[in-house]
Amino acid sequence: MVRTADLLPLAVAVPLLGAVVLVITGRRLPRPAIDALVTVWAALEVAGLVLLWLRTGDGHSVSWLGGWTPVHGESVGIVLVGDRIGIGLALLTSALVLAVVVYSWRYFDEPPVAHAGTFPALLLLFEAGMVGFALTGDLFDTFVFFELMGAVAYALTGYRIEDPRPVQGALVFGVVNSLGAYCSLLGIGLVYARTGELGFAQIGVQLTRHRPDALLSVAFVLIVTGLLVKAAVVPLHFWLPDAHSVAPTPVCMLLSGVMVEFGVYGVARVYWVVFSGPHGIAEPHLRATFVTAGVLTALVGAVMCWQQRHLKRLLAFSTIGHVGLFLAGVALLTPAGTAGVALYVAAHAGVKAALFATTGVLLDRFGSVDEHGLYRRGRELPFVGALFTVGGLALAGLPPFGTGLGKAVVEHSGQERLPWLPAVFVFVSALTGGAVLRAGVRIFAGAGPRPRERYAGPETTGGGEEPEIRDPRRRIPVPMLAVPAVLLAPALAVGLLPGPGVALAHAARQFTDRTAYTAAAFGHHVGPSAPVPDVGWNTEGVLLGLVSTVMAVLFAAVAVWGPVLRSPLVGPVTAVCEGVGRRVIVPLRRLHSGHLGDYVAWLAVGVAVLLVAMTV
Amino acid sequence: MSRSARIRLFWAAAVVFAVVYTLACTGLPHFGTTVHPYGSRAVAASLRQRTANVVSSINFDQRALDTLGEESILFASVLGTTALLRHARDERVGRPRAGRVLPSTRLLGLVMVPLTLLTGVYIVAHGQLSPGGGFQGGVILATGLHMVYVAADYLVLKRIRPLGVLDVADACGAGAFVALGFAGLIAGAAFLQNVLPLGTFGEISSGGLVPLLNAAVGIEVGSGIIVLLASFLDQAVEVRSETDSGSGERT
Repeated sequence: MVRTADLLPLAVAVPLLGAVVLVITGRRLPRPAIDALVTVWAALEVAGLVLLWLRTGDGHSVSWLGGWTPVHGESVGIVLVGDRIGIGLALLTSALVLAVVVYSWRYFDEPPVAHAGTFPALLLLFEAGMVGFALTGDLFDTFVFFELMGAVAYALTGYRIEDPRPVQGALVFGVVNSLGAYCSLLGIGLVYARTGELGFAQIGVQLTRHRPDALLSVAFVLIVTGLLVKAAVVPLHFWLPDAHSVAPTPVCMLLSGVMVEFGVYGVARVYWVVFSGPHGIAEPHLRATFVTAGVLTALVGAVMCWQQRHLKRLLAFSTIGHVGLFLAGVALLTPAGTAGVALYVAAHAGVKAALFATTGVLLDRFGSVDEHGLYRRGRELPFVGALFTVGGLALAGLPPFGTGLGKAVVEHSGQERLPWLPAVFVFVSALTGGAVLRAGVRIFAGAGPRPRERYAGPETTGGGEEPEIRDPRRRIPVPMLAVPAVLLAPALAVGLLPGPGVALAHAARQFTDRTAYTAAAFGHHVGPSAPVPDVGWNTEGVLLGLVSTVMAVLFAAVAVWGPVLRSPLVGPVTAVCEGVGRRVIVPLRRLHSGHLGDYVAWLAVGVAVLLVAMTV
Repeated sequence: MSRSARIRLFWAAAVVFAVVYTLACTGLPHFGTTVHPYGSRAVAASLRQRTANVVSSINFDQRALDTLGEESILFASVLGTTALLRHARDERVGRPRAGRVLPSTRLLGLVMVPLTLLTGVYIVAHGQLSPGGGFQGGVILATGLHMVYVAADYLVLKRIRPLGVLDVADACGAGAFVALGFAGLIAGAAFLQNVLPLGTFGEISSGGLVPLLNAAVGIEVGSGIIVLLASFLDQAVEVRSETDSGSGERT
């Protein structure tokens, strides 16, 4: 019988071992055997994490690696700490990896022939990095798993080397993320120099013995910079659309579904355990800065999402929009806000992965992800169209989807202090959901007039993509249709069933309780002090969810049928829209230039602004 | 953004960064203090573990999970690089021609290659005693092999470099680290716990698990770097675009 504490390192070791086995046997085994092996391995990881989730319950599971348990409160070792949020995120990751593995059973029929195990092995390494990141209780170890996640993600993004775009996307991804990681390392150095500790809990304890000064704020900002780059927070977000729009579809499902969200998780974890103690980072200051950053990110993501016709780019920008909402929700620094974000992330992962998966079917069929070029061509795929539309509605926050519940809980938690916050949430959900619905109606129903093929402004069309699968005449493989359908189900279950909500409400209370985490790392138990936040549906939440859904449908309808509408209002409205477009949107689009130098300059600006905002 | 605007923006941000970072550094403890909280603890722990090289004790015993992560990053990078640098459909492979090498260079290579390889093995094997270990020794092993490229030519390097075997060795090294971690679990202790007999301080067999983990990393790094460089050399020497149809470059 495996001890609960040992399940923590096993969750990291199992996928690592799986990758090794796949590389070694991948040269001999036929393709179906490799697919079967990696599926079994991914399922094993899910099973282990389910067991860990059940056994840990509302407490903490703690494992000191190498048996370096603290003596007199001091240790030289690394600790893994599993609480509900960390284990839950690891579980979400492993479930999504399993879905991706099944989805790609019939993917990548050819490359690279001599190393058929490479792609699944990279997926498992990616999983190990993310699970390790979710479970570690050590700052430097966080950085190591962050880098493992990154190194694999760059390779997976550039996997289709026949096309120069993925290689460029992977390069931008790699350079910008590495620069962010250097900042994190600088910050870890500052904290280590002051405290001589690397564990979250230990640093947190030591920092309470110093006055808050410039070093503390600068260290905090630098450490979270790498995580904010990963979370694609404006203006550190430029790499994301370039990478997510060109990565192979199964990889996009993981990148947008969970990897980006790990950035927000990391920021919240580092703040709550390390920097939230007495003499830590001042709460109002942090709230103001990070809610602003989150709202700005959400608005930029939503507006840019609406502008796209390249479907994967559209979905990538919608991820930026939603991550902005997640950051704003977490930055409220309340258990209720955190619980709402946890629900939102869980449901969003399923929805976003399903949307990418259906886009993958279009790419497979037609060799294009261009909304305009695909006009009416999706009519032969009604089931895919239905999935795509349901995904769009869920993204808009339609009750009873979990996205709607998460959104409602965060709105409710934030509106006392920031009464305008629900408006931002509704607008961003409506615009991103509306963009998906607009594309869906055009492609799968052929509604409205045929969109123009060319525009004068800056644009990425999404035509002329390489199909990721060789033979487009065969039938669509069943897993490619089953996986998105299955992925939407948990997104619905999170909102519909009371179980996940209650569990995540307890999880959020535990996550925001610094004392309980610190005590658990040192082997003590401290009962929770705050009350459990309320995370059920209420009338107001349902109404706001319906409002954002109706707005999304209206946005889509106006975009599709607006041009053929005959009414005296159309002329002035069009003129206003074009005016706003010229002054605001075209400059915003020009900023997303694809030039690596621009992105690095914006990264520097972002860090400088954060440093000034948090230090002064 | 224009070039000058970009550069101005970057420098403005960089100056702010430099000022604030310098301000933060004034809060650091002074140089040359006699006590460091982690340093004193780590040295004491490595003495207890009978590992003379404290750095190895930290890397392979006290904070072995970090090293597992790091060697996994290397493993992933090698895997990723071979995937990214595979031959695309539109790439043509030309056969490199043999190069001309001075006899004195050849002779020097003949002497130096075995010496360098021996040094590599020494550095890997003595990681628990003296500066060095699996990462450093592995790199020396890989470079030693590539002296053949300098002393002879690419064709000879290709002949003595069993890439298929090295690929598997790379994976086995990475896998061995994880497998050695399981030793602790099997013995009823924690993952990656140093459960082997610790031996006598200063002897080559001291340190328990440390020399074994060093060996695993040495194998992984040595073969990994060779495979990594092979992918790059392959692109540089053998692959040419369709427009350039000339036969192989001189190596």
